[in-house]
Amino acid sequence: MPETIQRDSLIGKRITKLDAPEKASGKTRYIQDLDVQGQLYGKILRSSRVHAKIKRIDTSKAKALPGVHAVITAADVPYQRPIGVAKDHFPLKTDRVRSTRDEIAAVAAESEAIAEAALKLIEVEYEDLPILADPYDSLKPGAPLIHPEPHGASAKHDHLKQAQGIAYLGKPDNVAMTFDYAQGDVAAGERESDVVFEDTFTLHYVTHCCMGVSGIIAEFDSSGNLLLYSNTQVPFLHKREFAEILSMDPARIRIIQPPIGGGFGSKLDIYPFEPICVYLAKATGRPVKLVFTREEEFLASPTRQPVILTLRSGCKKDGTLTFRTVNTLHDNGAYTSWGATTPFVMMQTISSLYRVPHCLYHTKAVYTNNPYAGSFRGYGNLQATFAVEQHMDMMAEAIGMDPLDFRMKNAQDPGEVTPQGMHFKSCGLKECLTTAAEMSGYREKFKINLANRDKPGHIKRGIGMASMLHVGGGAKIYPSDGCGTILKMDDFGSVTLITGASEIGQGSETVLAQLVCEELGLPLSAVRVVNNDTEITPWDVGVHASRTTFIAGNSAIGAAKKARSKILAAAATQAGLNADDLDLRGSHIVEAKSGTVVMSLSKLLRQLHFNDKAELVMTSFYYEPPSRHQDKHFKGDVSAAYAWATQVVEVEVDTDTGIVKMLKVTGAHDVGRVLNRLGIEGQIEGGIVMGQGYALTEELMVENGIVRNPGFRDYKLVTAPEIPEMDVRFIETMDGEGPQGAKGVGEAPAICIAAATANAIHNATGVRIMALPFTPEKVYRALHAAKKEAA
Amino acid sequence: MTALDNYIAPTSLEQAVEQLQELGEVTILAGGTDLMPQANAGRVKFKRTLMNIRRIPELRGITREGDEIRIGALATISEIMTHPLIREYLPLLVTVGDHFASSQIRNAGTLGGNVCNASPAGDTLVPLLVLGASVELASMLDDKLFRRSMPLPEFFVGPGKTRLAPAELLAAVRIPVPPKGFVARFHKFGTRPALDISAISIGISGVLDKGTLSQVRVAFGAVGPTPVCGAATEEALEGKKLDAATIAAAAVAARDEVHPISDVRASDWYRKEMIHNMTKRILEDVSASH
Amino acid sequence: MSQQAINFTLNGVPTRVSVPVDMSALEMIRNVAGLTGTKYGCGEGECGACTILLDGVSLNSCLLFAVECDGRQLTTIEGLASDPLGLRIEKAFVEAGAVQCGFCTPGMVVQAKQLLEQNPHPTREEIQRGIEGNLCRCTGYVKIIDAIEAATKDLPPAPLPGEGGNGRSLRSGTNKE
Repeated sequence: MPETIQRDSLIGKRITKLDAPEKASGKTRYIQDLDVQGQLYGKILRSSRVHAKIKRIDTSKAKALPGVHAVITAADVPYQRPIGVAKDHFPLKTDRVRSTRDEIAAVAAESEAIAEAALKLIEVEYEDLPILADPYDSLKPGAPLIHPEPHGASAKHDHLKQAQGIAYLGKPDNVAMTFDYAQGDVAAGERESDVVFEDTFTLHYVTHCCMGVSGIIAEFDSSGNLLLYSNTQVPFLHKREFAEILSMDPARIRIIQPPIGGGFGSKLDIYPFEPICVYLAKATGRPVKLVFTREEEFLASPTRQPVILTLRSGCKKDGTLTFRTVNTLHDNGAYTSWGATTPFVMMQTISSLYRVPHCLYHTKAVYTNNPYAGSFRGYGNLQATFAVEQHMDMMAEAIGMDPLDFRMKNAQDPGEVTPQGMHFKSCGLKECLTTAAEMSGYREKFKINLANRDKPGHIKRGIGMASMLHVGGGAKIYPSDGCGTILKMDDFGSVTLITGASEIGQGSETVLAQLVCEELGLPLSAVRVVNNDTEITPWDVGVHASRTTFIAGNSAIGAAKKARSKILAAAATQAGLNADDLDLRGSHIVEAKSGTVVMSLSKLLRQLHFNDKAELVMTSFYYEPPSRHQDKHFKGDVSAAYAWATQVVEVEVDTDTGIVKMLKVTGAHDVGRVLNRLGIEGQIEGGIVMGQGYALTEELMVENGIVRNPGFRDYKLVTAPEIPEMDVRFIETMDGEGPQGAKGVGEAPAICIAAATANAIHNATGVRIMALPFTPEKVYRALHAAKKEAA
Repeated sequence: MTALDNYIAPTSLEQAVEQLQELGEVTILAGGTDLMPQANAGRVKFKRTLMNIRRIPELRGITREGDEIRIGALATISEIMTHPLIREYLPLLVTVGDHFASSQIRNAGTLGGNVCNASPAGDTLVPLLVLGASVELASMLDDKLFRRSMPLPEFFVGPGKTRLAPAELLAAVRIPVPPKGFVARFHKFGTRPALDISAISIGISGVLDKGTLSQVRVAFGAVGPTPVCGAATEEALEGKKLDAATIAAAAVAARDEVHPISDVRASDWYRKEMIHNMTKRILEDVSASH
Repeated sequence: MSQQAINFTLNGVPTRVSVPVDMSALEMIRNVAGLTGTKYGCGEGECGACTILLDGVSLNSCLLFAVECDGRQLTTIEGLASDPLGLRIEKAFVEAGAVQCGFCTPGMVVQAKQLLEQNPHPTREEIQRGIEGNLCRCTGYVKIIDAIEAATKDLPPAPLPGEGGNGRSLRSGTNKE
């Protein structure tokens, strides 16, 4: 036993992920790799039409195929209930299809091949309806309606008549959702303005492209309890929602989450394939596994919300921002998922990234026959930032001010409460701006590039910046934004940390383990994390809104502090010392001042356990952040902390081809505090490249309701040789509420890239492009048009 | 379900073409990099027999035969890129390989497969056209192994369609050893080094002597149903001093002689623009480096 | 569908299976041999999650016909557990933080093994090109490149041509336009 132990900390170190060895050796079993004894394979028949009435479905041939156990359509599941944020679709479509992804029938069979063969034997007769492929058309008077009446047969069942939701009620227009927000008086703001710009920005469809495709396994036991192996990011919300959809007692539903092959927000909603798999399990009495093909993943998993955003903004000659008016039209697709609610986040950027006294914001999300959008890392913020940060550069140029100075003049400071009610207790925006600018040599390069614009040569360099504001301390969109922890110590000084928070690859279990080790003076190897079973883990609202480190971290710390008190109190009694004078270090109890070892932790735990008043060290904690719901005017402090960043992008534009090469990204991120340096770097680097894809290469091409490129061949993810050089610095503002001072960072790094790239292209060429992505052809056309105009 | 119910793996060319003639309904498997995904997507239907030709030694190897380099149909892109004969005489094919799909696909994909797929955007086709390649086709004639040669431009009929007879196998690609002063360039348009289906591609070759190009060959990919030869561009260059005026005229000729379509990868207008701009850039590069 | 019996070595173990003629090697590895470390990501050879080694050469197993494995040596990620270089790469992936969701990782590790066998001391650019057929959605590739670079430390130099092994460098000396 060592005589003394000095205090050591894991915070800020490069900690390898706890799950990495299993993953690197191929031993991790994802949903695709799991098999349940006796399982059948599920497959879904999707619509071959964009918008049509279903006249007839004949499943008799499919049912007759050997090896087929069940073929179901809406008619076979009269108990099905609508899903989605607006309860506007049944998992199995009843009387009409509204997009090509629409689920018409499903098969459970002994093999995938048999299930696929059976799908081909299902006959469907359609009657085509007019297609709404453009959100503007959806708003025209007399436009065809997407949800004109209650949905078909299932909705006619008596027990559902009382229910709410568009699937039951229909919708007399195509407006899925609206948002209105106002602060100040934009007309007054405009009167004060010396410069006013109004432009329309067009944001495209992209999709998550998780490397692991979607999948689920559903199994009923003989008492009717449902076990789901699900990739969900929100197990506890889904437990409740599945219960509602399936008319089951939530207590009878257990969700186990196998390791997830990528999340990025794609798994926050229940999608039709999940209840359908349950229906198949119910129909066959067998476990059913349903896994997508990659093509299906492109067609039937969610997208980022496509947005047409008109921004009018102004400033005074001295650089003071005066007002912003925003009108956005969101293409909602045929059904409503979380994508429709992204205005919550968009308006925060518009009202509060910089100080703007007057704001007016209006959104309409309208139904079309296109794919529908879910939540996706950044949640509307990429779209809002794209517009806001381009206008910042345009206004700076118009008043002859350096873009950096212009931003600094309007940047938020710590302590500010914005007109929308967001309270920036910690705020490193100004430091992010100056740091990123200095690291990248922004001011000098900006001027040099301007000077080189009109010189000969087809390669032009550009530099552009953009900043972002995003929730970094959870987001109170549900009644609770909390997370529970159970912490259990064994007789050997090891901890089982049972947390509600899910690991989706981002490294949360490692960070949580680290935070516990910090309180209990343990090595990382002493902690096991359990986080994947609703039957075991305490409640959590889910992995979203960059909240896990902050919320689950505080929760884990809470549980660890309770254990620490208990241990130190017991040790003090045993050793006849004062608990306040003791500390936990290196799995020992030590005197805090000198580090002198008092006893080993495992010995103390065993003594507690094996005596007359036997006791286990087991604690629990529930952390609820001190944030508030927005009121009905969308005002309020929804997050306990806010994250900030500035990213500077350098590009090379080939004016002969329109090819934009991203050379370098310099980032300064206010993350509160770095907990795991290796993990946070990974988040930032991955986010930058995701932002690069959004800016330059990725586009889900939807033409007349049909996805033209459902594969990696023509949906271009960024590959290794294309990545830019990256230089990232962390601004540690030590947030008072954050775990060890940390704030959330998961979404932040993807947010600014497209906006900064737009500004860089303008710096290089003088051409401003307000639609994404910056594909060679789009850039070339813009350059070509500018050249024509000049001539 | 497919009609596939027979698998054969002949071990000699003669055996292969014999079986081909006998069985009639045969799907040929070489590298598989195209066959497998096409079959999975239902774009290719398997015939009754799958013939794996990978065990046929005559289809392998890269050799010099007189004034020709013979590349066996089964040579993979990786093998071609690293072969000393190719590196010495046909370095253009090394460049081509560098832009071809990915390492894994270069290791599997064969030259014969790429040629027989006859995709308008097939990466090796434009370079082979400007290298003056011909194909060696094998079949049975009067119970004997019969080989015929066909210049590559004649081989392509349409997307995925060639003049390969039903009982015929592509045995090799033959390329003349380039003459002195030979220059050749290939440009595959794209935003990344590889793993890209080209929106357009251009190949230009010829003999450069004192600034003048002769024996010019020009070919374009992804601008029509097959890779096409650029006769008008060739004419604009043949025997001309490679100066700014010639280059400008050739670039315009190139743009005007292609008739691309619009698809997910690019519009027709943009393809024509890129044919123009890249032809110009390639020729400027040739002019500057000689 | 006709079945075909094939004999091959799977991670060093002589193996005999009967497979449908049109089955991919990926399906055979996962569903017949029961090794799930090799992943399905796209089925089109575009993502590299299914990368395996056949006679030491990396291939997309989703594009490979299972019957083509007859008489050959097939190595999957599970087989690298008994390979010093494979283990070294796996360790480097863990230490460099190259693993996030981990779904692309086995394919990346296998591809890295082929890359380092051909070119034991690649430049960063050569590493980037070497894994261009492997998509990753989480990491932005930086730490994967770091890991492969770290795994080259202490590796002996490339064997000279003719010294056995597959010592060619596919990249060095290639002409770039």
